[in-house]
Amino acid sequence: MSGAQLIAAARAQGRTALDELAGKQLLASFDVTVPKSVVVPDADAGAVAGAIAKLKPPFALKVMSPEILHKSDAGGVKIGLKTAAEVEQAIAAMAALPAIKSARVEGYLVEEMAPAGQEIVVGAVRDPDFGPMVMVGLGGIFVEVLADVAFRICPITRLDAEEMLAELKGAAILQGARGRPAVAQDAIIDVLLKVGGENGLLMKHADDFKEADINPLIVSATGAVAVDARFILS
Amino acid sequence: MSAQTVMEQYAPLFMPKTIAVVGASTKGTALPNVFIRRIREFGFTGTIYPIHPTASTIDGLPAFPNLGATPQPVDYAYIAVSAAQVPDILTVAAGRVRFAQVVSSGFGEVDEGKDLQQRLLNAARAGGMRLLGPNCLGIYTPRGRITFTEISPTEVGHVGVISQSGGLGTDIIRRGLSRGVKFSGLVTVGNCADIAPSDLLEFYLADAQTKVIGFYIETAKDGRRLFEMLRAAKAQKPVVILKGGRTGQGLAAAASHTGSLAGDERAWIALSRQTGCVLVDTLDQFIDTLLIFQTLTPQPQHPTKRVVLFGNGGGTSVLATDYFARLGLDVLPFEKPALDALAALKLPPGTSITNPVDCPVSTLQQDNGRVAEKILDEIYAKGRPEALVIHLNMSAFAGRTPPEVLDNVLQAALRVQTHYPGQAHFVLVLRSDGDPQLEARKRIFRDTAVGLGIPVYDEMSNAGQALAALQAHERFLHTRGS
Repeated sequence: MSGAQLIAAARAQGRTALDELAGKQLLASFDVTVPKSVVVPDADAGAVAGAIAKLKPPFALKVMSPEILHKSDAGGVKIGLKTAAEVEQAIAAMAALPAIKSARVEGYLVEEMAPAGQEIVVGAVRDPDFGPMVMVGLGGIFVEVLADVAFRICPITRLDAEEMLAELKGAAILQGARGRPAVAQDAIIDVLLKVGGENGLLMKHADDFKEADINPLIVSATGAVAVDARFILS
Repeated sequence: MSAQTVMEQYAPLFMPKTIAVVGASTKGTALPNVFIRRIREFGFTGTIYPIHPTASTIDGLPAFPNLGATPQPVDYAYIAVSAAQVPDILTVAAGRVRFAQVVSSGFGEVDEGKDLQQRLLNAARAGGMRLLGPNCLGIYTPRGRITFTEISPTEVGHVGVISQSGGLGTDIIRRGLSRGVKFSGLVTVGNCADIAPSDLLEFYLADAQTKVIGFYIETAKDGRRLFEMLRAAKAQKPVVILKGGRTGQGLAAAASHTGSLAGDERAWIALSRQTGCVLVDTLDQFIDTLLIFQTLTPQPQHPTKRVVLFGNGGGTSVLATDYFARLGLDVLPFEKPALDALAALKLPPGTSITNPVDCPVSTLQQDNGRVAEKILDEIYAKGRPEALVIHLNMSAFAGRTPPEVLDNVLQAALRVQTHYPGQAHFVLVLRSDGDPQLEARKRIFRDTAVGLGIPVYDEMSNAGQALAALQAHERFLHTRGS
């Protein structure tokens, strides 16, 4: 489905946000790398094994429900699963949890896990005066506690994206502070341009979204992967 | 739109030939009467049409019953009557007025006036006129000899300003003028029902007379156009923005002030990073920054970093060094060639010849003050500063030295910088304690210096912030200049 179709479908279903899979499909349509995934309906033995046969372990498992906003809090996320049998067991255990049992569940998302790396947050908001704006920050406490983020008005240029990263107080971490490996800044800049650049997602869909979050974007030596994504419709 | 088209479009506003004034009374005391008096005193040579429903003359000028009844079409109409009357006044003026400035308040800035503002806008659009305001004070355009404030010089300067507050617009003119800022124009735009900041930005960018642009802005109105226009302009003219309502509390005040809707500080910071415009926080900073851009020529090839401080006051030098360092301006000790050259001058004990160069009054009064010229010559020749800040604590001279010592020091400073054109930004800080005599002398010094293109500041912190703004502008041009 194209971005416009994904958005239209979500609106037709009365949703206020794209579900995780649709959000990732939207990102993929702008060439942002997302994990390979399949959706399985339930813990039906055999079906799971067939469905995930083409995915490489380890797997991440996430419940899909429009009624569950914070999947982790509800117990709806399980990572590091190594086999189809472990996935089946995890689905069965999840389905029995009160918060999930009582919700309308649309299926379970099984994803390849991204290689370990630095967690980055790429966000967006629609400013009432200036239109779409793109944001970047380092994941975890840097964004949540220290609010160490940089904003730009879309569309951004490569130089804008470079300056956004340089502006972060945690910029030294990207360069490999305290003996840690340097983070592939080019991979982050690429994602920022695909989201907030001239022909990027936010310019193409300037009026569709009130807010968006790619959190986390995991950046490793092999590139950047959007591991979770939320798009709030306007 | 080409620059020429933009200039033609705005000529009736900045250089009107016919002005109509709505709201003047036969008693001659209303605000519009004051406006008529001011523009005549200011030297307006075009035709003034007072508009009055019954009177045949106002302030000795033939009056006309409405804007549709004037002998010639009106370039600029100044309207100050009760809000409810204004839409109908514009309706009658259809096709006969180019720019209508509605001074009256009681429109979109209050809930009960929102519909009225829409009717006002509809009447202006239907009548083919551009609308300024409502809820503003007027325009100061020295090239057209129009002013809404009492004291305005007729000299046409290079600083063009747009203000969403009328009162602050008055402050900017009066305080700016007393600091040596000279304006190409200042337009108060109030609620911006029609003409928005971006419209006047387009004019000032096209206007060859305007070299520096300043905004007092509470709400962008059409932020997208503002962003795109500023980005396309690539900071070729410095743009200084004093943004009101950047905090939640300021925003609440702004909402009741000119009917602003939510803006956001982070969007303005992003705007400044992406377009090179300079954001400032206070009226003083705004004027300080306009002044530095008016007087100094940016050096994008080598953005200002190395600063030399020279003056009397050891503590002042130390504090300024700290303050400048925090702003990203280095006050680093001289290297050997400059140190040797300054040492060879054999200045009296108590003089510090590293950078900052601290010369007590006892040193500066040598040779009746002319010693400063020798010191400065070496600083320029061997110290290679990118900016030189000379600070004189006038209080320390008073009573200890004959008046000509301070004059000579200052003349030496002004003279030396002309020997090294374009080498370093030259900034003067004249510190005083508020003593009336000192203040009077300071005013004379200031006028002389600004006349020579040298910005003068009251304190080191003001000079530092202005230099930091210049540095930011130079850096933007350095990395992004086309």
